Amino acid sequence: MQKIPLMLAKAGMVLARDVFRGDSPVGMPICGKDTVLTDALITRLDQMDIQTVCVEGHPVWEEGERTFDELLQNLDRRFEKSRQEPLNSMLYDIYKAYLAKSMGG
Amino acid sequence: MEDKRSELKKIIMDTRTLPTLPNVISKLNALSDNDKASVQEMARIVSSDQVLSARILRLANSPSYGFYRVSTISNAMILLGVNVVKSLALSSSIFAIMEKNSVGLWEHSLGVGVAANLLARKLGLPECEEIATAALLHDIGKVIVSLKCSEAAKEILGLTNERQIYTMEAEREVIGTDHAEIGGWLAKSWFLPDKLSEPIAFHHDVDKSLNHRIKTSVVHIADVLIKASDFGNSGDRYVPVIQKIAWDTLKLNVQIMTELVAEIEDKLIEVRNFSLEMMSE
Ligand SMILES: [Fe+2]
Ligand SMILES: [Fe+2]
Repeated sequence: MQKIPLMLAKAGMVLARDVFRGDSPVGMPICGKDTVLTDALITRLDQMDIQTVCVEGHPVWEEGERTFDELLQNLDRRFEKSRQEPLNSMLYDIYKAYLAKSMGG
Repeated sequence: MEDKRSELKKIIMDTRTLPTLPNVISKLNALSDNDKASVQEMARIVSSDQVLSARILRLANSPSYGFYRVSTISNAMILLGVNVVKSLALSSSIFAIMEKNSVGLWEHSLGVGVAANLLARKLGLPECEEIATAALLHDIGKVIVSLKCSEAAKEILGLTNERQIYTMEAEREVIGTDHAEIGGWLAKSWFLPDKLSEPIAFHHDVDKSLNHRIKTSVVHIADVLIKASDFGNSGDRYVPVIQKIAWDTLKLNVQIMTELVAEIEDKLIEVRNFSLEMMSE
């Protein structure tokens, strides 16, 4: 999942979270999780003054953002002292899979 | 070394030498926990301090609790309980004293609060708010070390970098005790109940937690998860070893952990924004 400014939203992206008026989760969502964005929908969200949306995967490359390889290297470093322990090794695998998924891999 | 430890204990247990906590706190501590009259009295006392009530309400609505919309102090008392509000008052005062360079520790604490709450709810445990509060406060001993022994704090940091050891190990070497034990002393001197002080004192030694081992286990696992996630900065760059006793106590398994990691990461996006707002106040 990635949180992006509405300006960078494109038709075909999939909402990873409900969208609420005023960006705070009160009342009924304007638009539900799992909705596929269309140009018309993006225009409507813009008219309702929505600033950001959360979308599935990792479709937008942000300046200064770390690549999957860099993230994985950091993960390796953090687990350097504990990965030989079975429970930690399991947690390492969970995080690695999570990173791969969230980076759209 | 034992001298150093008891000297430190004396300094810390002496509340007069602690950073000046607002007057309200001592008034709060004087009130008993359960009787109805004192709950109202407590709400009145807290509400009389505008800045403090604002901070408590912000914390009560933080993603660490995040399931309520709390708008008044008396509501917070009802929803979160008197103990939680009392320790929120204490922690908001302590966190307010933390310098800007402790932003990393503040974020780590918030993150562990969120992770502990999600885990506790997932397992259907009672007293999730207490667990989240203990988690929010779990590293409060580190704040005290840097406030009270800033030289030693520098030495500890230097040692962890130089020898690539855990903060705990460096602390024991330099000050003869560690932030968990110090946090436990502090919690005692604040008269916090055992269900809060035990997880604070034993989050790195779950086996020593005898009366509230489930809560301590949750805080321990949450601390590991937030370090694995690289959220905030606890001072440790290495993920600690997951203590088998905590894992077994909570009957964890791969599936629970996989779901939990995704839930935590999802929630942390909000926490980062919240933390920025809170710090800019
Ligand atoms: Fe700790
Ligand atoms: Fe911690």
